[in-house]
Amino acid sequence: VTPITTEKPRPASTRRPGRRRRFSVTTPSWLFAAPALLVYALVVLYPAISGVFYAFTDWSGIGEDMSFVGLANFRTLLGDEQAMGSIGNTLLLTLAIVAVQNGIGLLLALGVHAKLKSRALLRVIFFAPVVVSPVMVAFLWKYIYNPDPSAGLNGLLGLDVNWLGDPSVALWSVAGMVVWQYAGYSMVIFLAGLEGVPKELHEAAMIDGAGTVQRFRYVTWPLLAPALTINMMLSTIGGLKLFDQIFATTNGGPGYATETLSTVLYKQAFVFGKFGYSTAIALVLALFVAAVSLVQVYYLRNREVTA
Amino acid sequence: VAAAATACSTRPDTAATTGGQGATTELKFVGVADQKAPMDSLLAAYQQAKPSVRINASFAPTDQVQTSVRTQLGAGNAPDLHVVYPGSGSAMSMTQIGQAGLLADLSAQPWTQTIPAGFKPAFQLDGKTYIYSAGSSVIGAVYNKKAFEKAGVEAPPATWTEFLAVCDKLKKAGVTPIALGAQTPWVTQLITYALVPSTVYAKDPTFDDKQLAGQATFAGSGWRQAMEMYLELQKRGFFNDKPNGTTFEQQISMVATGKAAMAIQVSAVLPDFRKAASSPDDLSMFPVPGADDAASVWIPAGVVVGLGASAKGKNVEEAKAFIDFLGKQENINAWAKAIAAIPLTQDASSAIDPAVESFLPFTKDRAVPFMDQRWPNAEVQPVHFAVVQELLAGKATIDEALKKMDEAYQK
Repeated sequence: VTPITTEKPRPASTRRPGRRRRFSVTTPSWLFAAPALLVYALVVLYPAISGVFYAFTDWSGIGEDMSFVGLANFRTLLGDEQAMGSIGNTLLLTLAIVAVQNGIGLLLALGVHAKLKSRALLRVIFFAPVVVSPVMVAFLWKYIYNPDPSAGLNGLLGLDVNWLGDPSVALWSVAGMVVWQYAGYSMVIFLAGLEGVPKELHEAAMIDGAGTVQRFRYVTWPLLAPALTINMMLSTIGGLKLFDQIFATTNGGPGYATETLSTVLYKQAFVFGKFGYSTAIALVLALFVAAVSLVQVYYLRNREVTA
Repeated sequence: VAAAATACSTRPDTAATTGGQGATTELKFVGVADQKAPMDSLLAAYQQAKPSVRINASFAPTDQVQTSVRTQLGAGNAPDLHVVYPGSGSAMSMTQIGQAGLLADLSAQPWTQTIPAGFKPAFQLDGKTYIYSAGSSVIGAVYNKKAFEKAGVEAPPATWTEFLAVCDKLKKAGVTPIALGAQTPWVTQLITYALVPSTVYAKDPTFDDKQLAGQATFAGSGWRQAMEMYLELQKRGFFNDKPNGTTFEQQISMVATGKAAMAIQVSAVLPDFRKAASSPDDLSMFPVPGADDAASVWIPAGVVVGLGASAKGKNVEEAKAFIDFLGKQENINAWAKAIAAIPLTQDASSAIDPAVESFLPFTKDRAVPFMDQRWPNAEVQPVHFAVVQELLAGKATIDEALKKMDEAYQK
């Protein structure tokens, strides 16, 4: 977008070392971040890390009765049919959300990046669901997913689907609701990426005779890699720890059809009163999310290129 | 303690009549949404009776209140008074919190002496009373009188065969016989709860004790018959379409508007049905007959959700004094009336809601507490919810369902 991008590559030898000699780039940025980091450490890191201790106990959440049980909670987890089943649901849900949300997000971004008159308005409309609380969205979708053939989505599409009540459909209904809410979020990140693709590359490609599809395939797509990395990572993390939307719509049901690791660990803690076991599940979930994200970032970063 | 408590209360005392004793003790109460109606009027009465104590009450739905109060209990900053569930089958139950030493002992209060013997397990742990509750509610069929009239049903059924015949008649008249909102988890259990007293406890009133001793199981008892009857209702098309996709709120509106003729529900939510109906007199209740011999029909009658005083609070004595006030007969009556419950103890001024009158002949010796109130842990109930949804969806067999419940019971 900026017409002066051609001036960017400057002779590196003269300016960069000079800048570094005067002050280090990293020190002040850490200082600026310090107050926020301190609050984060106190409010998030400290409780999270101190919570790890409970994963090795049988604490009930109330009272002082507690004993150290070593790895017993983790062994229980391995033999817990319900928790293991929920891992499958969690992965399916995450896969669906990552693929569809980013696909739709990319299409929306390409759409509103085009020179449309109403594109500013459309951007706002597509992004609007993101700012609504997930629980509100879930309650709204409970109406949209009314099983009555004449109401809600069924009425609109002329279908007769038991959206949240049929165990083989419910998981995908939840995914659809999440995608509806967050596709706009992916769109905004892709849009930022699209804005960063230099015009002259497109112009050069056009002069070389590349069509729309080829320009997307060989110019836009490689340069969107950083946006894709961040979108994939955010939607994966969001999918793996999805809780609010499920809790407010199906609460894990019908039966166990939409039970995810997050709903299982919630129930273990607050419904069954097994805080120790619940913390163990939470710890496994946290490590799993961290591992998946790291692997993802490592692979996706490798395919990133710069303009 | 008193000084600290007064220092905390920053609000000016608006009750001008207190004169010299300007000091106000502020108590905090966290309750479940069902308790709002009775508590609002009783709190106003208490303010009159004892102006030096102000009670700050807040209410939330079951799931949220269980989460937040349990967290507060765990963190050691529980409210002075809070919701407690009778018996032992939930994470906020009298037994589970009482065992952790977090509930104040109420045994010295006069009303505890008159708790009916059959209800003692719901109120007491090791002979000490830890929970106040105003009475009991029953599970039965909430029905729309107009829908029954329209289909030509004259009297509520007294046996299972009659019950099926009534459903058939309603169905032929174009009315959904039974509205079922099984997407709302707790609604799933009510039909089994309505039937099990007849299929299990009428045959063996000591079933709970045997099950606790490991001598009886769900799979090897009348629970199987109750599940079969549940599914028979579905097979015959007596439920609304897609019960697993229907919520409690939709269930209420179906019966209130006459689109469906009845709902198997707990009497405590009767006020919700009445609010939704064009006239509250359209609705009444009858016991669900779970047997073909009218004499062996039993009903579920459970102690309604109550409250306890935090043993670790700063104002334990003031909190207990409020519960003592609630224990007076007139206040038991007032609370029971607000939620259409049968008062814990009765005197001449006790009013019984006409809708639950048909249950009274049963309450003496043909009633059993809600099943979960004697279950040993909080896991059996959610498993029951889940397996009923699976059965309704055709994703499980009765054998598998009962096996899962037995496994959860033995945890």
